[in-house]
Amino acid sequence: MRIVVCIKQVPATNDASIDPETKRIVREGVKAILNPFDTYAVEEGVLLRERFGGEVVVLSMGPPKAEAVLREAVSQGADRAILLSHRAFGGSDTWATSYALACAIRKLGGADLVICGKQAVDGDTAQVGPGIAAHLGWPQATHVMQVRSATPETLVAVRMHEDGYDVCELTLPAVITVVKDINSPRVPTLRGRLASQKMEIPVWTPEMIGADTAKIGLDGSPTRVVKTEPPPPRNKASRRITGSPDVCAAELLHELRTRSLV
Amino acid sequence: MKKHIANHIYHVEILPPKQDSEKLDADLQAFAEKYQRVLDSGYCICLTDNAMGHLSFQGTEMIQELGLSVKPDQVMIHLNTFHTKANLDDILQACIGQGIRDLLVVTGDGSDRLPKLEPADIGASGVESVTSVELLRYIGQTYPGAFNLGVAFNPYEPEDHEFAKLDRKIAAGAMFVITQPVIARNAVVDKLLATCPLPVALEAWMSKKLHLLSQAVGYEIPESTVFDPIETLRLLHRTYPQCGMYLSLLGFKTQYHLITDTWVS
Repeated sequence: MRIVVCIKQVPATNDASIDPETKRIVREGVKAILNPFDTYAVEEGVLLRERFGGEVVVLSMGPPKAEAVLREAVSQGADRAILLSHRAFGGSDTWATSYALACAIRKLGGADLVICGKQAVDGDTAQVGPGIAAHLGWPQATHVMQVRSATPETLVAVRMHEDGYDVCELTLPAVITVVKDINSPRVPTLRGRLASQKMEIPVWTPEMIGADTAKIGLDGSPTRVVKTEPPPPRNKASRRITGSPDVCAAELLHELRTRSLV
Repeated sequence: MKKHIANHIYHVEILPPKQDSEKLDADLQAFAEKYQRVLDSGYCICLTDNAMGHLSFQGTEMIQELGLSVKPDQVMIHLNTFHTKANLDDILQACIGQGIRDLLVVTGDGSDRLPKLEPADIGASGVESVTSVELLRYIGQTYPGAFNLGVAFNPYEPEDHEFAKLDRKIAAGAMFVITQPVIARNAVVDKLLATCPLPVALEAWMSKKLHLLSQAVGYEIPESTVFDPIETLRLLHRTYPQCGMYLSLLGFKTQYHLITDTWVS
């Protein structure tokens, strides 16, 4: 089974600022990390490889420094890594990014399964996974909380919903995006980390993956950011409950029930 | 531990490099140099386990991958409850293979990125979560006689609670005790030494930044506080001559050469 895991390098902070001119996230000078949801995608890929054999290839599109998160994924157990990096990719929105990743997957010779984290914590769009499926014409399942079973032809996924879950069977090849409930990502070993440092990571350009340059970068991105603004501050009103422990507990329970929280 | 105390063998804490180190090669080299220096001094190297919840490399894999040698009674591994069962057993097997007998078993701080042992993983029942008590019991039952098991004691926690916890740890197989940092005579430590049947080592805070201890001791220590770790170490030896000493945050460049003549009977 060939499993491709698409990952992204994101700013490490929750306080990422927005450039007022470009309306884009300011990434310069901010520590970058592997998108937290993607660690679960990598782990699921490694777990499936351990069950069914094959290889896990991690793929990322970004500047040269994004190589760091690819090495991290390799130290977590992926077999090899590829970076899509070129000036022409710059400014790609989720549609152009998923197009480029789909091109890279075709260039790889296809895959049995593509796994993405449910979303990146910088853009929060959750669109790249479904975009890859659309570009490849493959079935997809988002918010997967469990891979119940898999064969070389099919995969049964449990999808998380706000009010429960459903179970769906996908014909492979397919794309899934995963939530944190799906597994507990392993902590990389020193041996894995040292091996990942030595690994050569190929850098693919648009030409190498056969991408139409009109479909990548700013020109290939239909998204136009018209305005960005921070969300309104949350209501932090608080109330202190006083009295004996029994009275406090009863009052708290009443409050929670009134708000339908329990 | 009794042998360490009798032979004036310090326990020197070394933190393995963090997982997110951006200068891993340099960190590995620094670690290896510290390790070898402590080993050559005849002291006991104490390797932490994701201290403060910071993801770091395991002590046993550091020893293996860097080809470091282990001398009997000169390496102690910390082990907490934030592991998968498979990983826990891997570490314990590695300890046995490397000849490491001393383990400091703690509940640990954990983090979002670290798995946590579930009671069912180690055959614990009647508890909602795994603490050092259940981990001690598991190690003792699964690897009988393989390890000398130590536990932590915090003199700044509510006293009754801490002593009751220590009783449970002793019942679960604890063989020695290491305290949280002590910087002067402490009434709770006095009581510990008067009542505890196990050998005790005191953690000596070797950083000059005493205010960093504020959270541990439960009261605010001003940042401007002047603190002389070496003098305090001497004071602890005079005050508690029956105890071993566990040196945390020891400065290898500035302090290491100064500790050689601090342990006087």
